[in-house]
Amino acid sequence: MTNVIEAEQRSFMTGNEVVAWAALAAGAEFMYGYPITPQNEIMHYWTRLAPKFKRGFLQTEDELSAGFATLGGVMAGRKSFCATAGPGNVLMQEPISMAEMMRIPAVWFIQQRGGPSTATVIYSQQETRLTCLGGNGEGNRLVYSTASHQEVFDYAIKAFNNAWNYRFPTFVLGDGYQAKMREAVTLYDPAQRGIELHGTSRMLGRSSKQLDGQQVRHYRNTFNIEEELYETLMQHIADWDHMAEEVVEWAWEGDEEPDLLLVAHGVVSRAVYAAYEHLKSAGYNVAYFRPITLRPFPVAALQRAAGRCRQLLVAESAYGQLLSLVRDSLYGKTCAPIEGLLRPGLGITEELVVEWAQRLLARVG
Amino acid sequence: MVERVEAFVGEYAAGKSEVAINRALALRQQGKQVTLVDLDLVEPTFTLRPLKHQLEGQGLNVIAWETAQTFGLGEAGMQLHPQARSAMLRTGHLVCDVGYGVFGSEVLNLVEGALACPHLGVYLVVNTTRPMTSSVDLILEEAKLFNPLHGLLNNTHLGAETTVELVQRGAQIVQVAANELNLPVIATPALAEIAQQMDGYDVCGNPVWPLRRYLQTAFW
Amino acid sequence: MERIHDHDPAMPASWNRATKPHRFCPGCGHGIFLKALGEVIDELGIAERTVFGCDIGCSLLAWDFLNVDSVQTHHGRTVPVVVGAKRANPELIVIAYMGDGGGYAIGAQHLVNSAMRNEKITVLLANNTVYAMTGGQMAPTTLPGQTTGTTPYGRDPDATGQPTLGPEMVAAITSNSAYVARGSVSNYPRLKQYVRQALENQLAGRGFSFVEALSGCPTNWHTNAKQTWSYLDDEMTKYFTLGEFKTPGQAEGGEDK
Repeated sequence: MTNVIEAEQRSFMTGNEVVAWAALAAGAEFMYGYPITPQNEIMHYWTRLAPKFKRGFLQTEDELSAGFATLGGVMAGRKSFCATAGPGNVLMQEPISMAEMMRIPAVWFIQQRGGPSTATVIYSQQETRLTCLGGNGEGNRLVYSTASHQEVFDYAIKAFNNAWNYRFPTFVLGDGYQAKMREAVTLYDPAQRGIELHGTSRMLGRSSKQLDGQQVRHYRNTFNIEEELYETLMQHIADWDHMAEEVVEWAWEGDEEPDLLLVAHGVVSRAVYAAYEHLKSAGYNVAYFRPITLRPFPVAALQRAAGRCRQLLVAESAYGQLLSLVRDSLYGKTCAPIEGLLRPGLGITEELVVEWAQRLLARVG
Repeated sequence: MVERVEAFVGEYAAGKSEVAINRALALRQQGKQVTLVDLDLVEPTFTLRPLKHQLEGQGLNVIAWETAQTFGLGEAGMQLHPQARSAMLRTGHLVCDVGYGVFGSEVLNLVEGALACPHLGVYLVVNTTRPMTSSVDLILEEAKLFNPLHGLLNNTHLGAETTVELVQRGAQIVQVAANELNLPVIATPALAEIAQQMDGYDVCGNPVWPLRRYLQTAFW
Repeated sequence: MERIHDHDPAMPASWNRATKPHRFCPGCGHGIFLKALGEVIDELGIAERTVFGCDIGCSLLAWDFLNVDSVQTHHGRTVPVVVGAKRANPELIVIAYMGDGGGYAIGAQHLVNSAMRNEKITVLLANNTVYAMTGGQMAPTTLPGQTTGTTPYGRDPDATGQPTLGPEMVAAITSNSAYVARGSVSNYPRLKQYVRQALENQLAGRGFSFVEALSGCPTNWHTNAKQTWSYLDDEMTKYFTLGEFKTPGQAEGGEDK
């Protein structure tokens, strides 16, 4: 395979372009896609770049088809991925459910958009719940929520590696703002940084070379009795729990007994972190917590961060989707009130977070 | 009829809108009548829309949608403003901000008669920190999309991380590409604070255009 | 359950003997359709690189029918799964096996668009005029007047349309390199010949191949053996014409390519 990135380079890019380059660098071989804003440039750049590096692309008839074809590509032994947003994410929950139960390591890039809407495509964290727990299963998947172009690149590589290592569908969750914003990012060849790319294997179609005396494989989601489904599922859940311990990630900074703990994920966490720094330099006793994996959610880490705080403020461009994950995590662990700065489909600025935080801090003052 | 057409073309996020706005304002300051046309049909963000009133206040005619007018069109879709079609019937200078894409100069067909204007300048805006225009060969590949093409601009920058050295490295790469293409480098646009350190000309002797940032506040 | 291995009945080598007798109802057409497929896989010697995808509905009961790698997908989604596999690994021979509901209703957009794109895949579709697994509801291919669970007074074409003519539709939208036929489990040699030509078309890398088989469902038709064959041969053929609709290289209307 041709080297995608010969030497590390600092580049000025948009988020969608970074996804295309990251997928190339991560060794992705095939993209299946269907147009939807705000992820289109992922396809635009993948289709420009793919022939140069002998990678494949198929534009399908809809997102159901793109999602299921991605599963077919993975089962045939190729690192395959898909990108979508909003209503496309809804449709793709069907193939994602199949991937969870059949342990198909497909990778999805989600650029959230305001919903339900056929027009607003910039600010949104309204697909948090859907991306973590959509589908008709138990949500056995891995979801990274990124905040910068560098993270998109880093976590895309990690997403492909962990998908193929643990064999659960894996997501890089962005949003329209991250997709379109422009900032500098360092593109690198994972090998040059000592990151080994996980290998692939075929689930279907044994060539004579790969036969290796293996039995014929039948993949199915048809279970004859409830107990068979239960046993299969519980094994997956045990595997997922094991994975969760190894992959869970978060960021935490500030006082261990803060008057206010600020919580946010994704691009909103940048405004919240800026607000945290502003408040700290103004002499307030505050802390900042950001889940990087939303599924698995960093429950224990949040409990430590929130165990001795006096109150919490959860900021999100959604109406309580992160808030409910936070509440679930802290149930019975804290008496501190949990407030929500909830702006579904709207952006959140540092100034707004500071204003809300100061109001809450005055309360405990 | 319009006397002169300048179209800024190139890669996605190369800085075409920023350069077009600054160029239009510079021409206006020279006392010319200037119409700025939004021909970005791909990108619903970082458009001229949120800046329309501000730029009109600075004396430009701006053919672009206003956010309020796009009610019902949505952010997801891009519709051509009908006035763009007949922009050549105006007087003075026309500055076109052309969106990225693989369609090259064909987009200028949407302004009836623009490609036939005897004083037409189609200029490729290049930021050499962008992976698809980071080398001479890649710039030459990008330039193939545009016919006619009359010159290049070195718009090399890394946002807040931009340094004079970076801009100068970009200038050298763009100059070599321009020589290969037998085209001039029109200018090196650079943020005012960088431009101040460059004494009017880049390392290749091309004029430096001091830029003011407008699009930072233009995110939809 | 007592198996009949001792009797060692003749079976295609590509059949999975451990799962015989199969799970289909007595008199079901699926076993005959799959026998044709099994024999053709043997004759072409492609078991090693064949991927068999099956849909939801009674077709899913075929998930371990064959001794080849298989994937049982979601309802209507078998076509995109095998398309994805074929695009990613063109040396695979991929088969999407489904019923009339999976192909003509819930998965119709996939059938239409994969045919339009001339995907190098083979789609085998059993048409038994009902949703059998869910208890015999109306299918896209239910005959006018036919009583089903959701047409208790008989299918009324004014309200629910005419039976879907799948091969006719696929033939109309595919390129000249496609293969399209409709056979019947009541004419086994002919059906097997169609299946063989469909797979040969994929092997040659020419294009899309599609075979619909008229298939009996005595359980949901509530018919005895004689009535079953009569319904298949006399009633269904009033609406569904048997034969080849498109063979590679031959343009429709008798014109040469």
